Amino acid sequence: MENKKAKKRSMAMEVCQRLAKNKMAMLGLAILIVLVLCAVFADVIADYETKVVAQNIANRLKGPSAEHWFGTDEFGRDIFARIIHGSRVSLVVGLISVSVSLIAGGCLGAFAGFYGGKIDNVIMRVMDIFLAVPSTLLAMTIVAALGSSLINVMLAIGISGIPNYARIVRAAVMSVKDQEFVESSRAIGASSMTTIFREIIPNCMAPIIVQVTLSVASAILSTASLSFIGLGVQPPDPEWGAMLSGGRNFLRDAVHLTLFPGLAIVITILALNLLGDGLRDALDPRLKQ
Amino acid sequence: MAENDVKYTLDIKDLEVQFKTVDGVVRAVNGIDLSIEKGKTLGLVGETGAGKTTTALSILRLVPDPPGEITGGTITLEGKDLFAFSEKEMETIRGSQVSMIFQDPMTSLNPVMTVGDQIAEVIQLHEKIDQKGALEKAKAMLEMVGIPGNRSTEYPHQFSGGMKQRVIIAMALVCNPHLLIADEPTTALDVTIQAQVLDLMQKLREKYGTSMLMITHDLGIVAEVCDDVSIMYAGRIVEHGTLEDIFESTSHPYTEGLFGSLPNIENRQEQLKPIPGLMPDPTDLPSGCTFHPRCKYCKDICKSRVPAVTRLSDTHLVACLAYEEGTGVTLGGDGNE
Amino acid sequence: MSDVLLDVRNLKKYFNTPNGVLHAVDDVTFTLERGKTLGVVGESGCGKSTTGRAILRLHEPTSGEVFFEGKDVTKVSNQEMRHLRSQMQIIFQDPFASLNPRKTVSEIIGEPLRLYKVHKNKKEQQEHVLELMELVGLSERLVNTYPHELDGGRRQRIGIARALAMRPKFIVCDEPVSALDVSIQAQILNLLKQLQHDLGLTYIFITHDLSVVNYFSDEIMVMYLGKVVEHASSEKLFEHPTHPYTKALLSAIPVPKLGEKKKRILLKGEITSPIDPKPGCRFAPRCEYAKPECFERTPELKENEPGHFVACHFSGEF
Repeated sequence: MENKKAKKRSMAMEVCQRLAKNKMAMLGLAILIVLVLCAVFADVIADYETKVVAQNIANRLKGPSAEHWFGTDEFGRDIFARIIHGSRVSLVVGLISVSVSLIAGGCLGAFAGFYGGKIDNVIMRVMDIFLAVPSTLLAMTIVAALGSSLINVMLAIGISGIPNYARIVRAAVMSVKDQEFVESSRAIGASSMTTIFREIIPNCMAPIIVQVTLSVASAILSTASLSFIGLGVQPPDPEWGAMLSGGRNFLRDAVHLTLFPGLAIVITILALNLLGDGLRDALDPRLKQ
Repeated sequence: MAENDVKYTLDIKDLEVQFKTVDGVVRAVNGIDLSIEKGKTLGLVGETGAGKTTTALSILRLVPDPPGEITGGTITLEGKDLFAFSEKEMETIRGSQVSMIFQDPMTSLNPVMTVGDQIAEVIQLHEKIDQKGALEKAKAMLEMVGIPGNRSTEYPHQFSGGMKQRVIIAMALVCNPHLLIADEPTTALDVTIQAQVLDLMQKLREKYGTSMLMITHDLGIVAEVCDDVSIMYAGRIVEHGTLEDIFESTSHPYTEGLFGSLPNIENRQEQLKPIPGLMPDPTDLPSGCTFHPRCKYCKDICKSRVPAVTRLSDTHLVACLAYEEGTGVTLGGDGNE
Repeated sequence: MSDVLLDVRNLKKYFNTPNGVLHAVDDVTFTLERGKTLGVVGESGCGKSTTGRAILRLHEPTSGEVFFEGKDVTKVSNQEMRHLRSQMQIIFQDPFASLNPRKTVSEIIGEPLRLYKVHKNKKEQQEHVLELMELVGLSERLVNTYPHELDGGRRQRIGIARALAMRPKFIVCDEPVSALDVSIQAQILNLLKQLQHDLGLTYIFITHDLSVVNYFSDEIMVMYLGKVVEHASSEKLFEHPTHPYTKALLSAIPVPKLGEKKKRILLKGEITSPIDPKPGCRFAPRCEYAKPECFERTPELKENEPGHFVACHFSGEF
């Protein structure tokens, strides 16, 4: 015990070690790695031109079979291939849009919470205005204004998520900023920025991580809604949400049209949540046993 | 034997309490003997982790189980074996025969009930009395601790820290308990308020003839309110005696260290002689005498042999090998180091 | 020839609260010589901690001047303040709350070194951290532990090491031992005394524990509701307390000795908070000697005899 303490160990190594002990988090991580590999090697697994976009009416609405593992959709395209290729869009949208909300919202919230007073009031009232508009409507407006493309969709979803992050980070910062170690950091001459990013933010990670895992899920679903009304991913490109909503009309006769894209979304979100919970615990040295 | 039992309000023999945690077994209390004569005050002195509060909770049978467990010993309250009571009987004893004052007055009161109602609730739990009568009695009790009766309809947040502690004292004494356990009752209070509260507790105790177990780390308070003193270290009583025994003929090296750690208010030039080292880890207590790693008189034998209790006089007991014959351990001087 | 390190003049710190203006520190004036210790005592809410923080500008003072080595701290730019902060340090009361739970011991102690870019590389900084740990009596093997793994005494040593990292001349000790056990408290007090002797430090020692302050300080300043009521050398204050509040405070200390059941002065009532205080002595409502005049006129801090300041209209009379 005593000897172990004397060993040099870096913070990142230690977090990884603690994370590795958490079986559920490792399961989540494994699923995510599989998904990422699918996205990266999608072209190897299924050819885009022949399997994903080429229509084959003769083969439409076939159930799962040895040839088409997940069956075919209303245009006779292989659903398995479309899901594999769809993972590219979904993962990228989730990642980028959440990063946009996290960085912008997080900074705004941190400044609002740390400085308080007028700065807080101005930032948070603007956020309230954003919150008053339903986020899908906001995203639609932004995409309509910027033109429909995948980049704009990600940006739009990211922007509509900013107020949530601002609120959460502000609340977390306010609960931490009055603690003595923050004051002690000022006493040794740290600037406000150093204090916020080195002392306060690391102690606000728990609610932020939970929010991230949840909002990746909602970002994927928002992309689906935008795609559905024609503002997001354009047919015939595959996207999980679009596939899900496209399959609704065949829910009675061909359940696999919605089942498999739905499962893909559920599994991704589950994996993110498992990993997020594990990460939150691993980042907190106090929970170490 | 029967006479003896009645002489003591509380008699603890060989009490052992352990907590089973993931880190191992925490040996919080390791075979202590305590007794309080009727109407007397015993001071239980020790530092954080010595097992003082666990001892107090054992008397109320409130040690959280799990992970805590009373693994041995007996507690006799007014001649009756406490461990023989059912949980139902225990409930009637708590608050009426034994009551406890906790350290933090800020968190021991229910913030959404008026103080009058809170005291009345205690009365109604233990006496057959209607709501109105209970409230009247609560008011009278508040007057007794120096709070105007008409403030009984106010909520705890409307009182200051010292006032809250008075309310808690009123609550603890309202059913005329035979034994009052006070766990660091004034630690959270300012000096002048502490003086007021101690004064009040003394007066009320004398009036009702209540026995008291005073848990504290402040030897100054002990000198003012206690009759007997037990010094506790790592779950054991290392020295027990009357005030004079402990203060005038200090015998155990730990007690000596405690006195040496206190700044002398009359002689500011005097150097502090702190006890080196730290409280031992209760999951891994040192072998032999648990104090040996911090003791300046430590000899080899102290590391292996557990000291027995030596009787220095009728009232003065000490658990140190230096007082046992043939151990070769001597105190005095500056020790070995 | 006195060598004044710190000269505080008419320092005031008011807080706006929903109930009115809280006069947390009201017109505090004192000087402190190099290498000496000033003890500031008083009960909760008397403004002693706020005084310490206002001197370091952790709370921006409302008005008044703080001269540190002849330079007015309240008027310097943020940039200069950053430099001054390396000379003026603080040790906090709660050794748990004042250490970031997410950082290891070496990161906490190394933080000021990193901020001021004292060392070119990590290795040098790490060596410096180890030197500091040795200075305050922390064993080297604790270098990568987290604060929550350590007990209060060791955590307080980390706080002291961090304060010492930039070789300050002046340290505000805000109740540094109040949260510690008696035997650990004595260890830390001895350490602080030793460091003062070895490094020539000047302290402001804020505490509510009078026996500790007597042991530790050269001079003592007693505060009540934001005002200084008495200021004298430790010997004088303990031998001839002049202000009624100081007398009551001294008599209230429980002394760990037998046969000295001295007469206690039991104060009536409780401390209120100094929100929009009326003129007059703030202690008057609890003072047993209070006369009508005390409720009308605010007593000034006067030098009764050389080096002994008292703020009481009738200080000579009882």
